[in-house]
Amino acid sequence: MDLPAPVFELKHVSQQFGQFSALTDISLQIYPGERVALVGSSGAGKSTLLQLLNGTLRSTQGEVWAMGRNLSQLSSKRLRQIQQQIGTIYQQLHLVDNLRVIHNVNAGQLGRWSFLKALTSLIVPLETETAIKALSQVGIAEKVYERTDRLSGGQQQRVAIARVLVQNPIVILADEPIASLDPELSREVMDLLRNLAQQTHRTLIVSLHDVDFARSHCDRIIGLRQGKVLFDAAPHQVSPDLIADLYRLESHR
Amino acid sequence: MTVTPSLKWGLIGLAAIVLSLAQAGLFQQDLFNLNGAPLLWKFIVASVHPDFSPELLQTTFNATLTTLAYAVCGTFFSLILGIIGGVLTSEVWWLSFGQPSRFWLLIRGFLAAPRAIHELIWGLFFVNIWGLDPLTAIVAITIPFGAITAKVFSEILDETPRQPLLILLNSGFSPLTAFFYSLLPQAFLNLLSYTFYRFECSIRSAAVLGIIGAGGLGYEIFLSLQSLRYEQLWTFFYALFILNGLVDLSSAWLRRQLGCSSRLDLNLQQTKKKQAPKDIVRRRYFLLLPVSLALLALCFWVINPDFSKLWALRTQQLLGQFVRSALPPDFSEVPRLIPQAIETVSMSVLAIAFSAFGGLLLAFPAANNFFLPGGLLNSNPGKSANLLPQIMLLLSRAILLMCRAIPAPIWALVVLFVMFPGILPGAIALGLHNLGILGRLMAEVIENQDQRPLEALKAQGTPNSLIFLYGVLPLTMPRFVAYSLYRWEVCMRETVIVGLVGAGGLGRSLTEQLSSFDYRSLIVTLGGFLMLTFLVDWVSATARRSLR
Repeated sequence: MDLPAPVFELKHVSQQFGQFSALTDISLQIYPGERVALVGSSGAGKSTLLQLLNGTLRSTQGEVWAMGRNLSQLSSKRLRQIQQQIGTIYQQLHLVDNLRVIHNVNAGQLGRWSFLKALTSLIVPLETETAIKALSQVGIAEKVYERTDRLSGGQQQRVAIARVLVQNPIVILADEPIASLDPELSREVMDLLRNLAQQTHRTLIVSLHDVDFARSHCDRIIGLRQGKVLFDAAPHQVSPDLIADLYRLESHR
Repeated sequence: MTVTPSLKWGLIGLAAIVLSLAQAGLFQQDLFNLNGAPLLWKFIVASVHPDFSPELLQTTFNATLTTLAYAVCGTFFSLILGIIGGVLTSEVWWLSFGQPSRFWLLIRGFLAAPRAIHELIWGLFFVNIWGLDPLTAIVAITIPFGAITAKVFSEILDETPRQPLLILLNSGFSPLTAFFYSLLPQAFLNLLSYTFYRFECSIRSAAVLGIIGAGGLGYEIFLSLQSLRYEQLWTFFYALFILNGLVDLSSAWLRRQLGCSSRLDLNLQQTKKKQAPKDIVRRRYFLLLPVSLALLALCFWVINPDFSKLWALRTQQLLGQFVRSALPPDFSEVPRLIPQAIETVSMSVLAIAFSAFGGLLLAFPAANNFFLPGGLLNSNPGKSANLLPQIMLLLSRAILLMCRAIPAPIWALVVLFVMFPGILPGAIALGLHNLGILGRLMAEVIENQDQRPLEALKAQGTPNSLIFLYGVLPLTMPRFVAYSLYRWEVCMRETVIVGLVGAGGLGRSLTEQLSSFDYRSLIVTLGGFLMLTFLVDWVSATARRSLR
């Protein structure tokens, strides 16, 4: 079978933080249009993996390829060009909370804007239509001129998603996007992410604590345990035993 | 579009600066006196060959020790006053004794007056009573600093979460026990952190007090400057840099060890706190006590103040004489005071504008988490060959240290080499001194800034200049502005000390009246100055609240 070129490819990647090894010898490929869930307990290496994929971290060993480029060999300018194609949604803590919502959404376009345009927009907001369209997609168009820290946690999470919409990337990474939301909001945010990926055929990689959401919203689940891939399979192949194994404590082994 | 508070206050601030510049005569008169340029040049050249002769080094060592000792003893007594006053003026103390009376507000109000008067004025006053005794310097530091510490301590206590205290009180503990078992341990780190900051301030004050003759480095610097011995002057300057640098460094190190990263928290909204420090360092608390006690003993031994003078009969007589000669107040000078009051405010506005601007420029290179390798805005990750960021870091920190180590009156005398006396040189001198303090505080704001929003911007391929514009600037600006407004209040009080060397404003009248024993006018001037100080405090507090 002739597969398309992978969006991401990890070749024997390891990541050390001092003495602690967060990831050990990871090799995997992710193809366009896939919806991948990363599951595992806290400290299993989910966030580290996402940071490697979006170029925030450079791997201590092995190679991370994104869109046909080896990330560790790019100049900072070329790296930025690749990064513009990768949108990352963090928990709401990653917004500049004393700016108004419009500026946080517009920040998604900063990779394309000139300094002068960005400066002007801080005084007189530019491209408000694009921003409002993105905000109405996530259902909070009326908040466009409010200060971000006046919004609730769920609303801030939507602002973060609207920012990625405006960025219009090929890949969406989401680092525990529903960790601090109630079940109702969690479902809404996950539905939103799934629809975004499906409608425009974007690749989605999302780290989750909740395995049920991984099953219902993704088509591939990667289980991480202590920095290693424990399983990498379609949702129907992931048995309850496998999940139990994933969350079992070290001492009980 | 509605007018946001920041726009409103921005415009008010701008108007105040323009008006003050006009008041300073920027647009009409000759400001620069180029005849003094050769003297300034001589002064600058002397910096490269300071006088290192053994006798002078001996003098320098003694003077440094004296300044340190004043600061240590002053901090010690103001800490005692601060603890007593802070507890007595906190709402929560009276609450835990079940007395909802407003008594604490009354004491708080009573403490406002000693706080508003600068150490130097206290110093000049006590010189009239005790002469040039070390006691004068210590008491001059203790009174205003004790009142400030009391105010800040009471605020810290009142802002500490009360739930644990109430639980203990409700389960029948005695109020005192409950207080000691819940509120004090919770607030302890904040109190300690503020004490360190106060000590840094004390060092600077001790140097200033030297200028009125109390001895120490400030005194030696003043003498050398007056007698044009610039080589000696620079030796003392370098000693002052080292002393200030060491104190700031060790205070920063101690606070880091104890896990309180900010030296003074201006109670902006507490968002996104950093994680608590690891518990391994907590044990070092106990080392702190014997070390500070030893230092304290050494300092008392060095200056050996004569405490018996405090309750001596002669002191009482002189104080009584002062009160008698100050009454009734003499209001004849009031028409002359009003333009001076305007001058004073203009000077403080210009000083803070100058130091906020300069501090902002120097704070970014002086912060250790931006341009250095591994820093967020370092453009060449992985390559460490570029030394420029390190050099900029050292250079900007050195400039900040130099600015804050040299007392404002000394800066004023240097500025007066090339400028005609007036409020502008006064403002520049105050601005230079405060720039060093403000820049340092701002660098700390940058270093403590939550990096996550910035990392998010970087991860999506935003160029550094725009990370700065959309992330760093909006995130740090509120704190910058709050610190600048707070420092403006301090600048207002410090206008007095540049007035001493002829920079104009109410400070000049105050010092003249003090030295000519014209106490009846002094009382009136002092009253006017207090009113002005409270006005500035009020404006600053209002602005800070609405900009939160």
